[in-house]
Amino acid sequence: MILAVAVALTAGVLAFVFLIRPEDLPPAEAPPPWAHLEEKRDILYDNLRDLNFEYGLGKLSDDDYAKAKATLQAELAQVNAELERMQAQAAGKTGKAAAAKQPPAPQPAPGTVCPHCGAKFDKPLKFCGECGKPMAGGAA
Amino acid sequence: METLGAFSLLLALCLAAYAFLASSIGGWKDKPFLLESARRAVYGVFLLLTAASAILVYALMTSDFRFAYVAERSNRAMPAVYKFAAWWGGQEGSLLLWSWMLSLYSAIVVWTNRAKHRNLMPWVIAVLTFTQTFFCLLNVFVEPPFQMLAVGRGITSVADGNGLNPLLQYWLMAIHPPALYLGFVGFVVPFAFAFASLLKREPGEAWIATTRRWSLVTWGFLSIGIMLGQGWAYAVLGWGGYWGWDPVENASLLPWITGTAFLHSVMMQEKKGMMKVWNMVLISATYFLCIFGTFLTRSGIVSSVHAFAQSSLGSWFVGFLAISISITVFLILRRLDYLKSEAHLESVLSRESSFLFNNLLLLASCFAVLWGTLFPVITEALMGEKITVGAPFFNKVNIPIGLALLLLTGVGPLIAWRRSSWESLKRAFRWPVLVMGLTMAVLIAFGVRHFYALISLGLCAFVAATVVMEFYKGARSIAARSQMNFVRAMVELTHRNTRRYGGYLVHMGIVLMFIGYTGSAFNKDTTEEVKIGSHFRIGAYELHVKEVTDGSNPNYSWQRAVIAVHRHGEYVGDLKPERRVYAASQQPTSEVAIRRRLNEDLYLNFASMSQSDPEAAIIQAYVFPLVSWIWIGFYVLLFGTIVCLIPSKVKYAYPKTQVVGVYERQPEPAQ
Repeated sequence: MILAVAVALTAGVLAFVFLIRPEDLPPAEAPPPWAHLEEKRDILYDNLRDLNFEYGLGKLSDDDYAKAKATLQAELAQVNAELERMQAQAAGKTGKAAAAKQPPAPQPAPGTVCPHCGAKFDKPLKFCGECGKPMAGGAA
Repeated sequence: METLGAFSLLLALCLAAYAFLASSIGGWKDKPFLLESARRAVYGVFLLLTAASAILVYALMTSDFRFAYVAERSNRAMPAVYKFAAWWGGQEGSLLLWSWMLSLYSAIVVWTNRAKHRNLMPWVIAVLTFTQTFFCLLNVFVEPPFQMLAVGRGITSVADGNGLNPLLQYWLMAIHPPALYLGFVGFVVPFAFAFASLLKREPGEAWIATTRRWSLVTWGFLSIGIMLGQGWAYAVLGWGGYWGWDPVENASLLPWITGTAFLHSVMMQEKKGMMKVWNMVLISATYFLCIFGTFLTRSGIVSSVHAFAQSSLGSWFVGFLAISISITVFLILRRLDYLKSEAHLESVLSRESSFLFNNLLLLASCFAVLWGTLFPVITEALMGEKITVGAPFFNKVNIPIGLALLLLTGVGPLIAWRRSSWESLKRAFRWPVLVMGLTMAVLIAFGVRHFYALISLGLCAFVAATVVMEFYKGARSIAARSQMNFVRAMVELTHRNTRRYGGYLVHMGIVLMFIGYTGSAFNKDTTEEVKIGSHFRIGAYELHVKEVTDGSNPNYSWQRAVIAVHRHGEYVGDLKPERRVYAASQQPTSEVAIRRRLNEDLYLNFASMSQSDPEAAIIQAYVFPLVSWIWIGFYVLLFGTIVCLIPSKVKYAYPKTQVVGVYERQPEPAQ
């Protein structure tokens, strides 16, 4: 009896752990590579808000407030610029990749287009019917 | 049933080890199926440990005395709640509780992050299951809870058990260990995220944002556990103390200290990208101190130094700590470039520097407590002679540190982030310093001459004034701008930044607790042999011993003194301290009687009947001024922690474009 329960328990556990269907896998959504910059930008906004609030409560002199605010805004501008650069770069890559994925234009059969004058023919030729120069790769 | 319990533990061990390997390899080689199986193994470990725990609890509740653990820790006459509490009343059950809680936390972490932190989660699971494997090893091989009583090869049983230690048969003690363990175990989670982040060089501070609530909840549980322990010591041990610097108490305090330091310093990393190495060290130290605390409590290393060499449990813990600490230190050293600070301290007069001092003081306190706790072990190892340091050492070191920390609790909120000028500091400090000076003057006028008590109460007034001022100024500013009434503005203020204002409430709780602790400078006590019908005095009280009654129930027999209490000549009620002798263990205990008031507690302990005169009772009476403020402060601290956990409203209430615009300063509050 005990042996049966132990075997059943082990089998149940093994089935639960190892019988995985592809649809059981969690969605593989990776965060964008600039997620940390967005996080940093939010923190800088929070810091600015805090700074304003503390200034409002009189914890900072005008001078300290102006200095701290300028520093934070400079940091924010830097982060925003970097963020935009990364996003633009990613968009550029996506564009290039999309272009690379376009199906190639159908290539003419060898010997049907003259490499010298561009004349097109229905059948592959050894010499161009227009200019008379040799058609590379054309039929002999 | 017992076989099923033991088998569940064994299977849980195998699964935990598998989850560790699968998540490590899956994370390393990026194998999603392996990672999914590791995730499922974590759930499996939880289910198996739940089954094992349920079997043990069932055996305890049904008084199945075939189980050695049940026979040792329970008896038939015990109330059901203590039978249940016997789960953690002994070594084996206690370690099983640790394991079970860790598996519960791990399952929650894996479930809530199943579609998040793809880079980190494999290594988070690896850290969690590495720890889980260690505790399952202890459950299976070192302290197995499913050992049976046997004669020869046959399982036998006893008629009744020894019962739970009578000192533990108290409602606070029934919930103290689980609360403490929830704290101890919980710090594994932030550590796991920190470790994973370090290993993967994860950009940003995602691990901090993810574990912010975990750290706070865990810290809250640790605080609850420590306070329940204090409450229990006060109400049960019969001498009125709530903290005796006992090694086991210290074991719970150490991670609380480093955890508190972490909760403060991590703000600097979030806000400014500073102190990354320090935070990594702090969260690692907190995790290791949690394991170390369990080791200290469970191995008996300090109460009996020789037990260290003999206890296999001790060597297992030492091995685990040595391996884990080595790996962590190695990783931190290898990743120093990743942990490079993004900013520097702009001014000594800044909130950052107050956090820095706060951290240094907390670290000094932690080191002093650790040193004092391990001193007997160190002296035994170096000099061959065990030298124990007692409460005077701990008090001597920790009272000044505690007071300095209290000062910083008040100073920090008054200083702005980044930099403050002397002018604004003078303006900010004016009122709190005045309140502090006035408080101390009044105390001196009333005859208080105790140096530390004066300083402590003065600082309490200072910190309370800063907290009140912060709420007042903020609420006034909101009320003026948003046309709200003051109370609503106060709630609005707190809701806009729950973390900050919840933190201030926690500080207020600490202030109230300090008031309570300071009261101990004025304790009074007396021990009297009093004939039944006569009386004695302590402080403003006159105590009249009216009678001594006795009786019994299946669990214990008791003797109760009925004492009429008069204060300044006016009758205020009867107190009935009691002595008990528990049937199963024949162990005597005291049930003290306490008259709790905000200004002072009257605390009576019925020590025994007199040996020389059978008509006389020996009564120990104590007056503890202000002690109730410790418990009140704790409730405030708990409330503040809960406020910190509420999401701030500000994130969605204010468009970000507003904050970078020109800000108009509100007129100075009328003072």
